[in-house]
Amino acid sequence: MRVGMPHLGNLYICIKAMANRLNGDLIVPSLSNQRTLSLGVKYSPEGLCLPFKLMLGNLIEAAELGADTMIMVGGFGICRLGYYTKIQKQILHDLGYDVELVQFGISENKLLGFLQSMKRLTSGEGWPSIISAFRFGLAKLGAVDKIERVVQKVRAVEQVKGAANRLFTQAIQAIDQADDYGTLKRAQRDYIAQLNQVPKDTQVQPLVVGMTGEFYVLLEPFSNLDVENELGKLGVEVRRRTFVSEWVKYSLFLNPLGIDETKKIHKAALPYLKRDVGGDGWETVGEKVLHAKEYDGIVHLAPFTCTPEIVAQNIMPSTKENIPVLTILCDEQLAKAGVLTRLEAFVDLLERKRWVNNKQQRVVV
Amino acid sequence: MEAYLGIDVGSVTTKLVMLDKNDELVAHIYLPTQGKPIDMVQEGLIQIEQQLPEEANICGVATTGSARYLAGVIVGADLVKNEITSHAVATLQYVPQVQTIIEIGGQDSKIIIVRDGVVTDFGMNSVCAAGTGSFLDHQALRLNMSIEEFARRALDSNTPVRIAGRCTVFAESDMVHKQQMGHRIEDILYGLCQALVRNYLNNVGLGKEIKPPIVFQGGVAFNQGIARALREELGTEIIVLPHHEVMGAIGAALLVHAGMTRSDNGSQFKGFSVSEIKYHTSSFECKSCPNCCEIAQLSINGRVLARWGGRCDIWDESPVS
Repeated sequence: MRVGMPHLGNLYICIKAMANRLNGDLIVPSLSNQRTLSLGVKYSPEGLCLPFKLMLGNLIEAAELGADTMIMVGGFGICRLGYYTKIQKQILHDLGYDVELVQFGISENKLLGFLQSMKRLTSGEGWPSIISAFRFGLAKLGAVDKIERVVQKVRAVEQVKGAANRLFTQAIQAIDQADDYGTLKRAQRDYIAQLNQVPKDTQVQPLVVGMTGEFYVLLEPFSNLDVENELGKLGVEVRRRTFVSEWVKYSLFLNPLGIDETKKIHKAALPYLKRDVGGDGWETVGEKVLHAKEYDGIVHLAPFTCTPEIVAQNIMPSTKENIPVLTILCDEQLAKAGVLTRLEAFVDLLERKRWVNNKQQRVVV
Repeated sequence: MEAYLGIDVGSVTTKLVMLDKNDELVAHIYLPTQGKPIDMVQEGLIQIEQQLPEEANICGVATTGSARYLAGVIVGADLVKNEITSHAVATLQYVPQVQTIIEIGGQDSKIIIVRDGVVTDFGMNSVCAAGTGSFLDHQALRLNMSIEEFARRALDSNTPVRIAGRCTVFAESDMVHKQQMGHRIEDILYGLCQALVRNYLNNVGLGKEIKPPIVFQGGVAFNQGIARALREELGTEIIVLPHHEVMGAIGAALLVHAGMTRSDNGSQFKGFSVSEIKYHTSSFECKSCPNCCEIAQLSINGRVLARWGGRCDIWDESPVS
């Protein structure tokens, strides 16, 4: 059995670590790129969203490399994602790839279902080694996400633009190659230390922009044309609640115990949206309300044709908690020039607003 | 005389303006870009130099518009600014109490919401160019009339026909249909203006709070048919400023004036002689990763001045200073 997987940001590091520990034969297709997108767009129904198209592209590329069993997420109650596995399987079969799709239905099966699916993918490994592999994979994911949070801060104020990104790339490699907890911990500590030593502009108080919106386009930089990095280049500190490691922590471990960070977000959204609308729409509205005072602005990312996010987009202008929101709809037509123009104008708007509010001496030009 | 140069290189037209130290407009040039942004910036420099008094001293240069980075490298810009901010700054200079700016250009349209002199929200067409200048030009051409005649005749309509404005392809076939049915051309033209305004308000203006005073600018503001349709649809006065077509360039010049006054460094302007330099543009496919980005580069005599177009940063750093 050769297992293939779609990409979601740095998730592959976690899955690779688990496969290595369990001696599984994992095929990681190349990170999402122009070819992935072209393949996905070519073989997808046009009205489906960018996450579907990119993930299909990943699966085709994995199948080309010989994968015969694919991991996919799915399950009811999320959004159209719930039936993506079935459509993708059909498309892959039509293309002549006789592959099996293993669906991880996280929303209904929780931790046990997840581990059972993992067991299905391994050749006769016992429970202790599966659980230990799972823990190690999560530790790697946690380390990558911890470093990324530091990178988001450093990018905004680094003196030489690109310094944080270079360290982040090296850190990802080091974490990917780490074979034991000791090496992993050292890599995490070393790179965070190095990031803290990057020469920074200490005079400025960077603008703070919160990233909200749909899970996949938030976490896959290729799908949003790397907007976090572009904001960093414009001197903006980016904050994001959604990280894969956080999501795993809550959905597999804490939610079943009744601990749910989204409760306070939903509560904040209540005056404007009283129920779940699928996907991350409820959270998008709630996060705007919750952070209106704390952030300078919000960049809202949504796949084109995503119903939950369109609901959220249309509710947001009417909240009384007022904070500028820039919505970017991500699809295969999204062009870098257009995104940059909007981001630059948005940052000008935020700087001007802060300047007027604080009469602080840091002006548009 | 202190002078500040603003250059707005858009997809369809190239605009240059010169402001004096009191921010008064001393010269302005409006040229078709014709897909040749470099040539048109050079041509514009030649033309604007002729309009300038002898003793003019360029103290600051700024570029804006979709070719702002390219134009910025060519002229040696002190400031490269996006067109949304530039338009807002210019409009606020002339109509300080403005609350809504409607800008329709050759291939894009924008809405800028201003409250208390600060931009609070903006929108830009993303998926569709329906209702921009290029489409109006195309329809005028098809009906064998100048765009000026188009605008004039649209004003003569009394009973406009309803045209589908959602998409330019449907708008065109709908127009042909109405022509074949025997409707007056004036009514069809104004019907088209109304359709484009509806489309603009439903797309770019979606979810925006459009409050007066409303300023309408950009090349399409020449078209009084569109201005009339906007006025009727919004039920309020629409202000069209005298130099509405060069507002982006004016905004850029205003911003660089403000910026240069604050800093001690002189302008990086390369002089009007750049209009004689032969620039060379080329492109290649980067092979560093599977994205295969198309990198465009600008060079003089084989010396590369700047590169653009990569998804990542590896080609961004200027190869020469």
